[in-house]
Amino acid sequence: MKRNRERSLFIVSFLAPAFILFTAFVAVPCVRALLYSLEKWDGFSEPKWVGYENFVLLFNESDIFLIALRHNLILIVAGATCITALSLFFAALLHRRVHGAGLFRVTFFFPNVISSVAISLLWVLLYSTTDFGVINGFLKWLAGGASQLRLPLQWLGRGDVTVDLPYPFVDSKHLIYAVIPMMVWAATGFYLVLFLAAMENIPETFYEAAVLDGASGVAQFFYITLPLIREVLTVGLVFLLIGCLKFFDPIWIMENQFPSKDSHVLATLLYQKVFSEYNVGYGSAVAVLLFVLVFLSTLITLRLSRREALEY
Amino acid sequence: MAANFRKTLTYAILIVWFLAVVLPLWWVFQNSLRSSQEIFRNPFGTPWLFTGAPPDVSPDAPVQAIRDNYFNAWVKSQFSSYFLNSLVVTAASLAGILAFSAMAAYVIARFPFRGNRAVFLYFISGMMVPAQLVLVPLFFEFTYLSRWGSRLLAPLGLEVQLHDTITGLVTIYIALSLPFTILVLTGFFKSLPGELREAGIMDGCGEYRVFWHVMLPLAKPGIVTAAIFNFLGIWNEYLFALVFVNSSDNKTLPLGLAAVSIQAQYKTDFGLMFAGLVIVMIPTLFVYLLLQRHLTRGITLGALKG
Repeated sequence: MKRNRERSLFIVSFLAPAFILFTAFVAVPCVRALLYSLEKWDGFSEPKWVGYENFVLLFNESDIFLIALRHNLILIVAGATCITALSLFFAALLHRRVHGAGLFRVTFFFPNVISSVAISLLWVLLYSTTDFGVINGFLKWLAGGASQLRLPLQWLGRGDVTVDLPYPFVDSKHLIYAVIPMMVWAATGFYLVLFLAAMENIPETFYEAAVLDGASGVAQFFYITLPLIREVLTVGLVFLLIGCLKFFDPIWIMENQFPSKDSHVLATLLYQKVFSEYNVGYGSAVAVLLFVLVFLSTLITLRLSRREALEY
Repeated sequence: MAANFRKTLTYAILIVWFLAVVLPLWWVFQNSLRSSQEIFRNPFGTPWLFTGAPPDVSPDAPVQAIRDNYFNAWVKSQFSSYFLNSLVVTAASLAGILAFSAMAAYVIARFPFRGNRAVFLYFISGMMVPAQLVLVPLFFEFTYLSRWGSRLLAPLGLEVQLHDTITGLVTIYIALSLPFTILVLTGFFKSLPGELREAGIMDGCGEYRVFWHVMLPLAKPGIVTAAIFNFLGIWNEYLFALVFVNSSDNKTLPLGLAAVSIQAQYKTDFGLMFAGLVIVMIPTLFVYLLLQRHLTRGITLGALKG
């Protein structure tokens, strides 16, 4: 009897800190967020219950929410797709035993450990319309000299920029497109390591058999590698989807902490509505929709990939 | 012939990406060794430090530039303080995350009490919550907690302040990191042999001592992996720091870098800016290179568990 009590005490005392912290600072706020989204509140005065009015406002009041949502979708369609394709490609290359595979794997991961603020500032410089801008410089070089640089530069460089300040690099309207190469540069390493780890777990005999049957490298990739890493691929896709939906830092930094209507993503819109415009209800409605999107996309991805699990 | 061509192409592609990753980082490092004046002459030149100063500038200009950039960043722009804050925030958060997660994970993995599964799922469900969802409610919750806490502890002469303090930021980081860390460590504790605990109990150790002296040391590889992931995440975290820290004395490195970049922009002091970037990038790159085996293994482990 005494032993039992001791055991219970042990269990409770070990669970309590995590349980209390998680409940107080994650679970309760989640519920509160849902309630806030149904209220009209400026953060100071008495909140007013308005039901789902905030959600109606998101879609009706202006197109700012839909533009932000579209930008997140662009990140998913263009960014996540490029990252998946490129990291699978690199993983497949490294999987087939090249010299220095370790060096490539370690180096490609570098951007993943660097602060997103630093990466954003670095890319601001790379995109700059002044002498700093390697990317514009490269396009200029491609276009064959300074006289013809108008055309390729227009989508990257802002026209009214003063030349000695290599900062407001990119037109707000096109910022989301400019962010995609940066995202690919920054994230590919992680997914490469993830997919490579899964590939290295595939028994070598499968490939030996395929070689005997005369299957080409490309065929091996599509008929052996890809099906056998499907579970890990799914996990990677879920991470990517969530990352694209939560995207915040680069937009915030590249817009000098003042994103405009043309450059918002969901997370920056949420921030601005709550902390600059004191519209807690509206901001929380954005947060709730963000959560719903994360939830649904995870669910759908997991569903789609669960058709048949391959045993080997 | 065809095989040879394929091989060359493979290496060419890998080397192009290698350069695309390394060159921008090298460029940042190089420019942190140059004065703004030097950078403006040619943003892509080799530092005068390596090539020797041209005749029209003083011979000790290259060394002076490094001293200026890093002195300005570290002292005048308060990077020393940002660095220290990041260090304290990360260390305190890691200690809390690992201690509380290991305790909870151990109990969940090793003690089949009633409601065990429910508790586990409760924690894990936190992984589906995007941080942005709790951001706004936490902001107001901190106001209430600070007010009520201060009122409660007033007789003891204590004051509770969660806004704009390192304590507040650490609390959030711990709470938000629990789900992931508990998931990883529960898997790890489950994989340890159960007889060890029974042997310890037989020898007359209490549960607490068995946990501390037997199970925790065995779980070290899992704890190291969890620690690296949390370290990278917290050291680089920006959004919550932005919302919860205002005063410049409490800013962490990402916040400080963002602030300094705006300053540097007005003063067109690019040497300062590049030095700041280097100061932010070096610690994580260093830790990564030191512990990359653990990190890769962590990803592998996660990948296989799926």
